Amino acid sequence: MQFVSHLWREVRRAPARILTSVFALSLAVGAIGVFAIPTVAASSLRDSAERDAIPQIVLRTTDTADVDLDTAVSSIANVEHIEPQVLTVVATPEDRELDILGTNLTNQQIDIIGVDAGRLPTAFGELIVAEDTLRLGTTWTVDAADGAPIELRVVGIGGTTFWNGEGVAFTDRATAGALEGVDGANRLVVRTSDTGKEALRSTASEIRDVLSDGGVSTKTLPLTIPNGRHPIEADIEQISSLIGLLGIVAGLVGLVLLGSTANTLITERTREVAVMRALGGTNRAMRRRLRRLAMGIALASVVVGVPLGVLISNLIARLVLEEFVGLTPGVAVSIPVMIGSALFALVGARLVAANAARRVTNRPLAAALRDRDGSPFGRRLSERLVARFATGSILDRTAVRNGVHRRARSVAMLAQITAAVAALMIIASLATTVTDYNAALDEPVRWATSTYVPGPGLDIDASLADGDPRAEVGSTIEGEVEGWEIGVYGFVPDTQMIDRTMDAGRWFEAPGEVAVSSGFAERVGLDIGDEVTVEIASGSHQYTVVGLHPDRDRTVFIDVDELADDMNLPGMGNVVMSLDDEPPAFLSGPIDVERLAEDDDDNGTAAILLIFTAIGAVVVSVAGLAVASGLAVSVYERRHEFAALQAIGGRRRHVFRVVVAELIPIAAGGIALGLVAGYLGAAAIMESFEAANAVEIGFTFASGAIPAAGAVVVAGALLIGGLMVRRVTSRPVAVVLRGAA
Amino acid sequence: MALISHESSVTSPLSAPQAPGFTKPHAVRPLVSAHDVSRQWGKGSNAQLGVDRVDLNIGSGELAAIVGPSGSGKSTLGALIAGIDRPTSGSLVVDGERIDQLSTDQLARWRGRNVGIVFQDFHLLPTLSAAENVELAITLSGRSVGRSKRRAETREALSSVGLADKVRRLPNELSGGEQQRVAIARAVVNRPRLIVADEPTGSLDQAAGSTVFELLAGLRRDGTTVVFITHDRALAAEADRRIEMLDGSVSRHSAGGVDVRIPLTADTLVAGVQ
Ligand SMILES: Nc1ncnc2c1ncn2[C@@H]1O[C@H](COP(=O)(O)OP(=O)(O)OP(=O)(O)O)[C@@H](O)[C@H]1O
Ligand SMILES: [Mg+2]
Repeated sequence: MQFVSHLWREVRRAPARILTSVFALSLAVGAIGVFAIPTVAASSLRDSAERDAIPQIVLRTTDTADVDLDTAVSSIANVEHIEPQVLTVVATPEDRELDILGTNLTNQQIDIIGVDAGRLPTAFGELIVAEDTLRLGTTWTVDAADGAPIELRVVGIGGTTFWNGEGVAFTDRATAGALEGVDGANRLVVRTSDTGKEALRSTASEIRDVLSDGGVSTKTLPLTIPNGRHPIEADIEQISSLIGLLGIVAGLVGLVLLGSTANTLITERTREVAVMRALGGTNRAMRRRLRRLAMGIALASVVVGVPLGVLISNLIARLVLEEFVGLTPGVAVSIPVMIGSALFALVGARLVAANAARRVTNRPLAAALRDRDGSPFGRRLSERLVARFATGSILDRTAVRNGVHRRARSVAMLAQITAAVAALMIIASLATTVTDYNAALDEPVRWATSTYVPGPGLDIDASLADGDPRAEVGSTIEGEVEGWEIGVYGFVPDTQMIDRTMDAGRWFEAPGEVAVSSGFAERVGLDIGDEVTVEIASGSHQYTVVGLHPDRDRTVFIDVDELADDMNLPGMGNVVMSLDDEPPAFLSGPIDVERLAEDDDDNGTAAILLIFTAIGAVVVSVAGLAVASGLAVSVYERRHEFAALQAIGGRRRHVFRVVVAELIPIAAGGIALGLVAGYLGAAAIMESFEAANAVEIGFTFASGAIPAAGAVVVAGALLIGGLMVRRVTSRPVAVVLRGAA
Repeated sequence: MALISHESSVTSPLSAPQAPGFTKPHAVRPLVSAHDVSRQWGKGSNAQLGVDRVDLNIGSGELAAIVGPSGSGKSTLGALIAGIDRPTSGSLVVDGERIDQLSTDQLARWRGRNVGIVFQDFHLLPTLSAAENVELAITLSGRSVGRSKRRAETREALSSVGLADKVRRLPNELSGGEQQRVAIARAVVNRPRLIVADEPTGSLDQAAGSTVFELLAGLRRDGTTVVFITHDRALAAEADRRIEMLDGSVSRHSAGGVDVRIPLTADTLVAGVQ
């Protein structure tokens, strides 16, 4: 209690300073809360994965009508439940396409549908649709696979965790089956008892085997979701690691801030402490008092900062989840991060305070009693040296010398400006790099449209485009190489749909030859002449690498006919590429046209950038506040000096000039160091990303942001400097000087 | 507004009443002329009066001492005269300028040209050498002086206070008396008409104090008006004019050893009736 009243007295003594310190420190402690984002995001994701019984294995197959699924998989011990589903696509009344999933609605066991409005379908032709797709009550007629008209009617709005964020409708299997022309299922979702990664892999391949014994082939690599995870979690993890890095920047800024705050608070009490020492206070008691003061500030910051951190991390986690998953998470708290950031502030304050307190109490009493603000100028050699340096106007000299005199604070401000600029540049560089990478991904592409027909596998006759010189049939399927998910792209050998200029070697010609993305090849140690094992839906296949293609993704390029053979679907493909802006006229029925111009990654990129911006804003405002409070304290502390300057005729602009002259070298140094740190930091982040993804992302430094970063620093410094000078000089000189003695 | 106009006091400043036999010629024209000057802090029940309706004139070229007990308003009055504080009411004319009506920056410019201020605790800029502290005052005065002339004037000012050999010292490397002498050099370097010194010897020992006082008193010879605040009766006795303060008001005012009558105002009349 006594401690609280003691603290309160301190606050009343210098309210602005203490409160800025507490606020800035709180923000720093809060910024450390970004470390909690991955945990927060993952825990909400896992909660919803658990609640809604996310499947562990998803397979897409040809029609399973001829197989009794339950008997077929009964031999596989790990399978708890297998749910046959039918996935199809129809055109909506507005002629957009809509995925429709037919599943057992009377006894849902996997990926359970949550009903937001209306009800679950109970009759043939009824649908429950995801939010923002169709309105309740919408009714329209489409053709079934056999040509018969089917009336579809929206009776509910809702969705599932797995399909969150997708424009999808759910219905019973009969309706979807009729639309797709499938009697059995074409999609299987499975819950298992052992959800470990390896167990899921072997279970998936056992299922594939029993299906293939029954004449059913799987057409995509099975999707496996281990350990109760959410399918989106892997993507979130990448963002999380980035967020973590930015958290480190925030932490560093906080550390500098903590150090300088505690240091200032204690050093400025030199004389007060000296008086108490003179009156008989022991050094030990004085140190304890000073440490307590710093701890009090730190404690107050923790009290404000930890909830602030919880708030920040939850806000950003919500931003991430809403953008990527369309899921609004509940509030989650990461206890280790909370404890960590609290300890960070308390231990840090304690260490810095102990050090500063020792310095203050170790000063000879006579000297300490004499000076007002720490140590007088001219005691250190560096100060005497800089005092000999008599160039520039006298006002500039006072500025430079003061910067040397208060070197701890100058260095702290330099560090803070550096951190702010670095954070700005890292964020801007990540943004430009991501944008450039997305553009680079499309660079070799020559097609204007690629058209898919709905269906799980290779459903287009490869000869379909034979008569059209501007179109080709190809295949894009998922595969795996050395544990990496890759794209396996089938092209005709002399394709005109992609730029075949190679980084090394040549495009495939003979059977068994493939080309591989060179960035990926380099990172998994593949070279020309090597054998590469590619896992696809039909099993493992070996090919010889004959060329390295500048493609920036993870891709294996192969002859479309060979790929069809290897998929056990000879003469088939799944995409029609065209050089024209419209899909070829020979394609009809429900089709999915992707135009190169409209990049489907745009949303994802925008979301990532949004998140970077959010975190960047936190880091930059912590650093900005730190700089501001440092500058404010610096100006405030020198108010007597400035009043003396005014007393002998100095006007406001002279005072401002001194403040600015002191700031310029610090700001310039901070900008320069920040640019270097930003460059190195962003390059390192991108490199770790390349390693984590086995692709060549490249790195674009956002040099365009340099003027902006500089302008922000300069404008901010001028603004704060100006405001502080205004405040300090608006009181009558005599009043300021009265408090000086 | 017109009701409380003090214009009359500007156009015809209250002349210092002349005592018989008091014939200092330059004391005839007042350099400082305060009329009904008050300085108040805070408002309402918190209000604190530092200076309470003071009327006084200080003649040009005089050495004037402000004396009085602690808390009587000496420093406050000195600050008002020096233009580092502003009266809350009343008019204050110094060397023909209504300084109570100047803006903050105008006032600063005015100080730079017309006043030299000496404080009890010196207030030298700690990062500047003795010479730089003095030179800064020239720069801020706005006089257009070439660099070499500036240097020369600086040296001359420092020599005149006996510090020719310590021009490159930092304040930290000077004794208190030396620092105060630098402050005097800084105050006189622009040859201002007025010097205001608040307990200039208060922080100094006897010897250093009398050196400083001699320097200030000697400025009279060039026609500079020196207003100084002191607790030292001996020093006050050497002044041409003594202004005694009590509770914010001038309780006694004498020039050349003769009392100056406090002008009759409505308030004093009322007080007399009571
Ligand atoms: N800035 C201020 N705010 C409030 N009150 C003030 C302020 N400055 C002075 N005072 C009050 O005005 C009165 C006169 O103060 P001043 O400093 O002028 O006295 P002084 O005669 O110079 O005393 P000393 O001899 O101790 O220096 C005092 O009561 C003081 O408390
Ligand atoms: Mg005083």
